[in-house]
Amino acid sequence: MSAKVTRRRFLRAAGLLGAGAGLAACAPRVVEKAVEVEKEVTQVVEKQVTKVVPGTTIQFWTMNYGDPAQWLDMFKKHATEFQEKTGIGVDVQMINWAQGMNTWLLVARGGAHPDCADMYWLHSFASIGGKEYGPLPITEYQQEYWPDLKERFFEGSLKDVYWQGEFYGIPWRGDIRPMIYRVDFLEEAGFSKPPETWEELREYAKALTVRDSHGNVLRWGFLPGGANPCQNFMPWVWQAGGEFMTADGKTATIDTPAMAEALEFLYQLQNVDKVIPPEWLEPSFAPMDYFAADKAAIVFQVPDDWAKNLERDYPELDGKWAYEVPVKNKTRACYSGAGYWGCLRGTTRVEEAVQWIHYLSQDSIMTELSQYLGRVSPNKNVMSNPYWQEKEWRKKIVACLEHAHTSQHPSPAWSRIIVHQPGAPIYDMVYEVMNNNVPIPDAIAKCQKRVQEEMDKGAS
Amino acid sequence: MVRRKNAFCYLMVAPMLALVLVLGVYPMLQTLGMSVVQYDLMRIAREGTPFVGLENFRQIAAEPRFWIAFRNTLVFVAIVVGCVVALGLFVAQVLNMDFRGRGILRSLILVPWVTPPVVSSAIWIWMYMADRSPINQVLMSLGLLDAPIRFLTDASKVWGPFSVPMGAVSSVRIWNGLPFVTVMLLAGLQSIPHEVYEAAEIDGASGIARFRYITLPMLGPVLSVLVTLLAIGGIGHFEMNYIMTLGGPNDLTNVLSVLAYQSAFTFYRFDLGAAISAIILLSTGTVAAFYIRAQLRGTGAG
Repeated sequence: MSAKVTRRRFLRAAGLLGAGAGLAACAPRVVEKAVEVEKEVTQVVEKQVTKVVPGTTIQFWTMNYGDPAQWLDMFKKHATEFQEKTGIGVDVQMINWAQGMNTWLLVARGGAHPDCADMYWLHSFASIGGKEYGPLPITEYQQEYWPDLKERFFEGSLKDVYWQGEFYGIPWRGDIRPMIYRVDFLEEAGFSKPPETWEELREYAKALTVRDSHGNVLRWGFLPGGANPCQNFMPWVWQAGGEFMTADGKTATIDTPAMAEALEFLYQLQNVDKVIPPEWLEPSFAPMDYFAADKAAIVFQVPDDWAKNLERDYPELDGKWAYEVPVKNKTRACYSGAGYWGCLRGTTRVEEAVQWIHYLSQDSIMTELSQYLGRVSPNKNVMSNPYWQEKEWRKKIVACLEHAHTSQHPSPAWSRIIVHQPGAPIYDMVYEVMNNNVPIPDAIAKCQKRVQEEMDKGAS
Repeated sequence: MVRRKNAFCYLMVAPMLALVLVLGVYPMLQTLGMSVVQYDLMRIAREGTPFVGLENFRQIAAEPRFWIAFRNTLVFVAIVVGCVVALGLFVAQVLNMDFRGRGILRSLILVPWVTPPVVSSAIWIWMYMADRSPINQVLMSLGLLDAPIRFLTDASKVWGPFSVPMGAVSSVRIWNGLPFVTVMLLAGLQSIPHEVYEAAEIDGASGIARFRYITLPMLGPVLSVLVTLLAIGGIGHFEMNYIMTLGGPNDLTNVLSVLAYQSAFTFYRFDLGAAISAIILLSTGTVAAFYIRAQLRGTGAG
């Protein structure tokens, strides 16, 4: 590998010399031309370098998004183009989200792995894999391939690709969560605009909940979130001014007034006002089904691709729903997350894998992926594309970026603290308060202890 | 000659034996090994897998969720085995009668059997959704219900180890397992000679008496195999409880195999998951041992 790099650097230097000669001949627009020439030379050099190892094929795994067949086709098309340019083949495989967790756990413990992949939860998997398995830092390549990383990508998204000072890959998928509401239901109830604050939200939820003569709810005024229960719960705490742990990832901060306020507010909505379904913490609860079936009027924060899915699957609802920046308490914190492309320990083709990730991280490809999914991109150039201003819901998504709060937390144990299953500390705390009437201070104290224990176990 | 015959037999059994050893016994031993070491993925990179003896068993025994899951497993097995055998006996008796359309009915009864448990679970999740359940809609439109039943999520109505969600999940397992039981019992019924029933009828035995004194005893071998298999399958049952409720609400449907899976794959504690799996193995092994002992006694070999 070092020989290849040396050769590349040599050729690049030669290319730059050639560019210099070109500069001497073309006095006007000297700088711009120089940059163009440098790019062309680099491309030629890359082609020459990869010809050294003809027939190299790397394996790339992507999670599935949107229509799985279309998604795979899109990547295969780019893989073909990449091979034409570099001579490096890419074998693209898809992983279903249902198997994602188990797959990455196995990879992080030495199971079969690709050369590079679309991944998530870097902090946990890097910690599990240690220096043997799992995500591979590619810090040495960052300056060479992405010298403008900080200029091109949102700062928040870069937090998801750094672990213990090492660079692991390129954030490509954003996940920002706006509030969604039914325009028609709000109008029916006499509201001309969506709620702005928690208190307004409570009023709206009461007014929008419709019951039959037996008191059975026909339509819920409000759903606490559009994803899994624990992801839904996080923004409530952030909006109340709380956090789950300190910035160094060493101390749990569950036992705070903000946590109590968030739990109390949700408790009131569920058990006093009875305007949110008691099922919202159960795995079979499907918020989008409720919303699309006219059984919910407002959903607190939903994954940004709901809009695209509603347009595709429920065209009869066109014009009946709208996105809005979430309601405010102390802040408007919006849930945000990111997926990244990175390499895996054990690959012998790091250079080729990095080139593929570099290729995918072009603005044009990231734009294509972002628009296909209707999801924000961590790439600033993608988000400045006119596409994101063409529709009202897209503008709202962009507006939500101002309030983004990363869902990643700086403790490797975070993934098992926040997992949305019984037995996880946060899930149990919320469930016990909401459904078992455990006093909020008791539930918080117990959770604080459990989270701290988990963080201590996961501490590096 | 005998040696040749034995060699032939061993040769025939060898492929299956190899599969059982590689896919069954080896992972089982690995799991047992894992249950006596610390195998926490969050610490493994730093601390490795030190031997901890029975510490993992002590930890799970100190955990209330384990005992809830243990109790639920027993309740689940009792409900499923009891109901599916009772229903199977009834359906098999009906299908054993001579009537028009019997062949079609026998084919239809197999439908739930060919539906994979994962698919069955998905179908029944929809059937049981509180707000859109067709069962609720029918019952409410008939005026039999004022409020929808929250089949999978109602944690408020609990009677000891019984609850609405436990009943709902068990019923799906019964629905899915009924065809197998029916087919086995039907085969058993067809092996009972008609002459025995005719003789009893001549002696004036009632239908109930014939069932009690002829059918049940003569189905004994089939029933004992069935109950053993169902109990072993029930103790290790996973899919429906995991897919339909993740063991919730409030752990009301959590069973040992779901808890083992959650411990290992959700909370990265493969050591605790292995310890729970070892207890499942011990439980199913106990049932199997009783069965084998009874068989050996029956054949006079033990």
